[in-house]
Amino acid sequence: MSTDADAFLSALRLSDSFLPVGSYTASYGLEQYINEDRIEDGEDLRALIAAYLRRLVGPCETVAVANAHAASADGDLEGLLAVDERLHAVTMPAEFRESSTKAGAKLCELLLAETDGDEHSSTLAEAIEDGSTPGHYPVVFGVVAQHRGLSRLEACLAHAYSFVTGLLGAAQRLGRFGHTEIQAALEDLQSVIESVCERHLEDDIAAMTSFAPLAEIMGMRHERAGRRLFMS
Amino acid sequence: MGYRDVAKVGLGGPVGSGKTALVKRLVPELVAEGYEVGVIANDIMTQEDADVFRESFADLLPADLVEGVETGACPHTGIREDPSMNLAAIDEFTERHPELDVVLVESGGDNLAATFNPELADYFLFIISVAEGEDIPRKRGPGVTQADLLVVNKTDLAPHVDADLEVIEADAGEVRGEDPFVFTNCKDGTGVDEVLAHVEREVLFA
Repeated sequence: MSTDADAFLSALRLSDSFLPVGSYTASYGLEQYINEDRIEDGEDLRALIAAYLRRLVGPCETVAVANAHAASADGDLEGLLAVDERLHAVTMPAEFRESSTKAGAKLCELLLAETDGDEHSSTLAEAIEDGSTPGHYPVVFGVVAQHRGLSRLEACLAHAYSFVTGLLGAAQRLGRFGHTEIQAALEDLQSVIESVCERHLEDDIAAMTSFAPLAEIMGMRHERAGRRLFMS
Repeated sequence: MGYRDVAKVGLGGPVGSGKTALVKRLVPELVAEGYEVGVIANDIMTQEDADVFRESFADLLPADLVEGVETGACPHTGIREDPSMNLAAIDEFTERHPELDVVLVESGGDNLAATFNPELADYFLFIISVAEGEDIPRKRGPGVTQADLLVVNKTDLAPHVDADLEVIEADAGEVRGEDPFVFTNCKDGTGVDEVLAHVEREVLFA
């Protein structure tokens, strides 16, 4: 049984860029937005990431985190695999899937396979390792967060927060944004993170979807981009 | 007085491209023009660059206007994601020297992706060397494409390293569009006047 302090520290650990799962290599199409001069300033960046939260992270990845957390709490392996399968099906750009499954495999190796060790998580880890399930990051994240005592909402908040800081960090490396401008964007986006997570916390996996056509097109064009600093 | 009250020029680029040599050329010119100048070196591991500057500028700058900032082995972080310690060093400069006109901030050597935080540098030069290969501009690193001024240094070495300056010129023109670039040989000072003219026009007269 985790104490509150354990859960709090785990939330910090899971949302920290110090976690070595390679998420710093992903831009989820943001690099292509910048390559195509579609982001002029910090306000454009804030609006774009808010749209990612509302159209992609919330209705898609947050639903996956929440349902993976619930399935893990129930010891429901079939449920976990169903979440993973659905997330794979609704994640359109190949590079988004690749970034997510690679980071998922690393988080699995780091925190699930070796240390968490109950029956359903061991079986999930084996399935990820042998390739019989994709092993998306939000799914592994939901399971690890549940094991470490985070509530469903806390797990979703920690995941969405790390997505946002990952994209803001990518933007800072790709474009010329000041550190106070980036922090101001993060400050503004906190309320969007909260509302998006609360809105999608109880969604069924059948509702898991994304509607971010331009972000997805950017993600697909990135596959053939002349200049690529990021994996997605 | 604080860092917002002084002009700040960033100099970034790979290891060995000639950033330190360019600073050593620019500072005497700026001082001769009547500017009060401060210099910050972001070194990867030691204060070596700052010590080189202190020694070089002993007759030109007060010792307390030359500072080394250690960056925890992450020079790109110190100039981009979290420039706090550089800004703190500039704040100290301006407290001690309220008439300070300009601070040159040299980054520790890094790769082609190093860019300056716009709150740390009002103007940023990216220095590459022909000895790194004539294909460097063509690789379109953010330093090459986003710098306010691209400086291609060590032109004297071109014939010795099979680098074609015409290829570099064509590629730099293509990847930078309307943005300027300058060829220099900091060893004998060739091209430094042109760099200085850009800095004065874009930063000090702006």
